[in-house]
Amino acid sequence: MPSLFFPRRLPQTVRLLALALFSVLLSVFTQGQGDLRSMALDAALPVQWFNGRTAALWDEVWRNLHSRAALEAENARLRQALAAAQPLLLDRDILHSENRQLLALLDSFPQAPGRVMAARVIAENFTAGNQIITVDHGQNDGVFNGQAVLAAGGLAGQVVAVGTMTSQIALLSDLDSSVPAQSAENDQPLLVSGTGNPRELQIPFQARNTPLRAGERLVTSGLGGRYPPGLPIGTIQSIRRNGTQAFADIQVRPAVALGRLNTVLLLWPQEGQPQAAKSP
Amino acid sequence: MNALLLALGFFLALAGDSLPMGPLYLALRPDFVALLLLYWAITSATELGLGVAWIIGLVQDVVDGGILGAHAMAAAVMIFVLYAGLGKVRNLPPWEQLFFIFILLLAERLVAWSWQIWGGPIAWNFALLLGPLTGALLWPVFVYLLDRIRHRLRSA
Repeated sequence: MPSLFFPRRLPQTVRLLALALFSVLLSVFTQGQGDLRSMALDAALPVQWFNGRTAALWDEVWRNLHSRAALEAENARLRQALAAAQPLLLDRDILHSENRQLLALLDSFPQAPGRVMAARVIAENFTAGNQIITVDHGQNDGVFNGQAVLAAGGLAGQVVAVGTMTSQIALLSDLDSSVPAQSAENDQPLLVSGTGNPRELQIPFQARNTPLRAGERLVTSGLGGRYPPGLPIGTIQSIRRNGTQAFADIQVRPAVALGRLNTVLLLWPQEGQPQAAKSP
Repeated sequence: MNALLLALGFFLALAGDSLPMGPLYLALRPDFVALLLLYWAITSATELGLGVAWIIGLVQDVVDGGILGAHAMAAAVMIFVLYAGLGKVRNLPPWEQLFFIFILLLAERLVAWSWQIWGGPIAWNFALLLGPLTGALLWPVFVYLLDRIRHRLRSA
């Protein structure tokens, strides 16, 4: 292999140091450049297209492996579950309309969710701290940077890079992710941050005598305008107070199975509502 | 090694590294790009340049959407260690290379992992050892398959 960059006589150690310096500079100067990320995403399109096809094929094979009997049993079970859920749904509708009327009385905005679009996950780009997935919708479908992303159970994350036909989503478990939240029981504002582990989120900077308790459910507070309020984030799993540390160590189990997402919902805010800003 | 074959190999390796197949696959999958890079470095008649390894790592970073430079540096370090410290490994049969492959893959993962410090403080996770481990265990099979493919193409 002919040497691409270096004069032939240059020792390996010097080459490695030069590359290290170059890598550091590259990392520092390209960090947080949205345009660069969009370009990278478009460059990765062939690989991601291939991944999408493979994942779809795998799903199909998996589905065919399930016997007809198992599917029928599942169907029956789901029918029963649906029948059981029907009264609850009715309840919910009644509560919803009641809530609407009350909010109208209070002269406030009814919090109807905006438009959503389902997107298929075509790649998981998980490294130690980055919990990023790639989905098959991009600029062509009107996806924008900072858009809130839902999945079965609640909030999944937000769009961090938009390509022409694909976009990348940082999950709540991403190390860089922080969501303004509040406990469903009291309205004390909190932040829920990612840990790099898809099964665990944390609440940083809560004093040892925090009123939070294990089992409390957390929802988005809507502060900051990025996420609409009231979306489920997760449940407080444990609160540990270690030795002399000033802050409690609070673990949160995410409401969404972040490690195994097949489909996500991209959320467009309702017109006229002061939600997600166009740029981060 | 045939350039077209290499390009195809790296394309498949890149795809394999981000295939959305659920948490078990994610935890166990080896870094296919690093494995292929090691295979290339070990089997090629001349030394594989650090710059070439760096470029391939950079492509991996681009596809991942992570910090640019993390995998690039990791790949360069891995090839550097291979040539500088473990030169004799190249002459061993594949199943005896297994342990060294583990060390090299681990070095690669550690460098890429420590690069994440740019994103904030990171916690050590023992699951990070699993990928290099399965990668090392797969190594003899990997070498056998790739040798067969290359042999087939050469005789055809």
